Amino acid sequence: MTRAEFSYDFPHRHLISVADLNPVDIQIIFERAAHWKALNRTTNRSSDHLAGLTVLNLFFEASTRTQGSFEIAAKRLGADVVNFAIEHSSAKKGESLSDTARTLAAMRPDIMVVRHSATGAPHFLAERTGLSVVNAGDGMHEHPTQALLDSFTLAQHWGEVGGRRILIVGDILHSRVARSNIGLLNILGAEIRLCAPPTLLPPDVDQWGCDVFNDLDQALEGCDAVMALRQQKERMSGGFVPSAREFFHLFGLTHERLEVCSPEVLVMHPGPMNRGTEIHTKLADDPDRSVILEQVESGVAVRMAVLELIGDVIRREDAS
Amino acid sequence: MSQTSLAIINARLIDPASGFDGPGGVLIEDGVIAQFGTEIDVDAADEVIDAQGRILAPALIDLRAAKEPALTPDGETLSTLTAGAAKGGYGTVVLAPNLRAPLDKADGFDGMTKGFGRYGVRVLSACAATQGLNGQHMSEIGLMVRGGAVYAGQGDHPIADALTMRRLLAYTSQFDVWLSVRPADTALSAGTVALESDWSARMGLPAEPAISERIAIERDAALAELTGGKLMIDRLSTQAGLKALQHARRSDLEIAATTAVAHLTLNEVDAGALDSAFRMDPPLRAESDRLALVAALADGEIDAIVTDHRPTPFDDKGEPFALAIPGTMGLETALGALLALVHDGEIELIDLLRALTCGPADLLGLPQGRIKVDAPADLVLIDGDLPWVCKPDDFESARGNSAWAGRRFQGRVLQTIVGGVTVYNSKV
Repeated sequence: MTRAEFSYDFPHRHLISVADLNPVDIQIIFERAAHWKALNRTTNRSSDHLAGLTVLNLFFEASTRTQGSFEIAAKRLGADVVNFAIEHSSAKKGESLSDTARTLAAMRPDIMVVRHSATGAPHFLAERTGLSVVNAGDGMHEHPTQALLDSFTLAQHWGEVGGRRILIVGDILHSRVARSNIGLLNILGAEIRLCAPPTLLPPDVDQWGCDVFNDLDQALEGCDAVMALRQQKERMSGGFVPSAREFFHLFGLTHERLEVCSPEVLVMHPGPMNRGTEIHTKLADDPDRSVILEQVESGVAVRMAVLELIGDVIRREDAS
Repeated sequence: MSQTSLAIINARLIDPASGFDGPGGVLIEDGVIAQFGTEIDVDAADEVIDAQGRILAPALIDLRAAKEPALTPDGETLSTLTAGAAKGGYGTVVLAPNLRAPLDKADGFDGMTKGFGRYGVRVLSACAATQGLNGQHMSEIGLMVRGGAVYAGQGDHPIADALTMRRLLAYTSQFDVWLSVRPADTALSAGTVALESDWSARMGLPAEPAISERIAIERDAALAELTGGKLMIDRLSTQAGLKALQHARRSDLEIAATTAVAHLTLNEVDAGALDSAFRMDPPLRAESDRLALVAALADGEIDAIVTDHRPTPFDDKGEPFALAIPGTMGLETALGALLALVHDGEIELIDLLRALTCGPADLLGLPQGRIKVDAPADLVLIDGDLPWVCKPDDFESARGNSAWAGRRFQGRVLQTIVGGVTVYNSKV
């Protein structure tokens, strides 16, 4: 499937949820990401695709890697990038998000990249401002570019993600990365497995189109890729899990445990990693298994693709 | 515009207190009902209204409306609150404590309640059970009851500690007033904004399981039995909670339950697009919960329907769903929203009106809320079929947060009479 065969233009001016994408949209994003990824490896990596457009990085939650990745992506496309880090406490604040949004919109940016602690905040901002919005993580809801870069990384190895068996292990309950990945991998036709203690699984998660396990060794059988999620330290001290140590013994990824997987199994992690909690340090650094740094590299390329495609839609709308 | 005597004839007279639903009328003299039934002495009346078959019922009574703090810029005042209430068919409104106006100070409480006389609609006030609704330290309930408080409430704040709850029930029992508490297990419900469900799990919203309500009702009913206190379940919202209520009623204890209009007419699917207007406390529930509540209402298990009217500044609704302040305005829209249940065949009109009239009146021992000789002439004339669209811009209030904005309703208040005086007339 290539774009030419479908004579179909990427239609979205927002990226808020993976559920808004169809398989062709995803294919288009991956094609463009592959282009940018190759170019990023040369010294000739700058373009003027988004020249004249302003990208606002609006991060209500602290982030270094995601914000940096979006910033590099937008700058390589020639956009003007402005970073706003807004300390946000739901308890007492000066103005409502609605007013903040309208204030920023009055500065006439073109694309807002938003991270916020509340589910639905990017959608809310898109509705209130009319600007294009890219969701860089909202609460425990979604983190669509992370899911796209994860699948893109796998697609680079395999060609197709469909039909492969992929395990997500760790704190599914609180993870927006897991929710977006489950959505996207379902669209792509992968077989999804989840593994976590019952305290870290959402209710009725078996209804989400995945097989659910509490036993890691069973869950790992025949897997083509394993995605470990980041474990929040404060949830590892008796609240959800008795200790980080117990978690590692039950759910931590090691070379030995991966022996039941497919021999070519790939290991992923969205970062930042807690070595010795969710993944053994040797496995994290094993170049034959771990694609963790490749994910970071893919991240810039996928975000370039998303910003580029949305930029095209904005220009098309502007012209008509 | 005071009338010495007014007759309303040719109405469909509905009096839930006596179970009467049939043709008839009333004669009002000196603010009380002088005659009712089919034989009205119209010659004795200064003014006669021909209802042309429309519904005439006791004016509605709300046990739970929030007042904004006095002098709030752009806020709803008691004048606009009561104007909206009159337009919605309410003859009596009880102000209930909430965090913004906790009603927890005995100083000036009687002065406040004495000032309520100047609004056409009857205004009453509840008081806070604990200081600042903190759920720990009792407020001066006795002094506030002397100052006119009609029950003790806790706003949205459950009582976490069983010992505190025991003492509150025991203490309030000496004044023979209801202790009204939202049933929620504090630990299970802390920080949650939605019902635990497939939808909220997918949305990644912090959610409370429905059994949080059941656990609280089971605990509080046991404590009411122990202490002899009067327990009012404030806004029952789940089927699980209803089962606990039914179980508790098998024991010999004083227990009452209210339900909010929102939980009888909306469900979590309405909040599906994460519109902050549907952020409620308790959160909107599953359709199966709503249906169970409507069935319980029809069976008389819900004593009173409350509007849970809550005017909210734009800033607090100008946040995404999870951060928005919960609540909706409801006095003007309650009847329109609830009549949909009658039109959809979910409940009989008389059963609906029972929980809006004599039900709440009986809880507080009020003489109004019924059509009876010498009862206060608090009446509402309703066109049960008149279509209209809910437009917050048309509200009497300066606020406009409504979960029913844009909804099409069938059935509207034509005239509201309190103590024989017309406080709202759609023709004027």
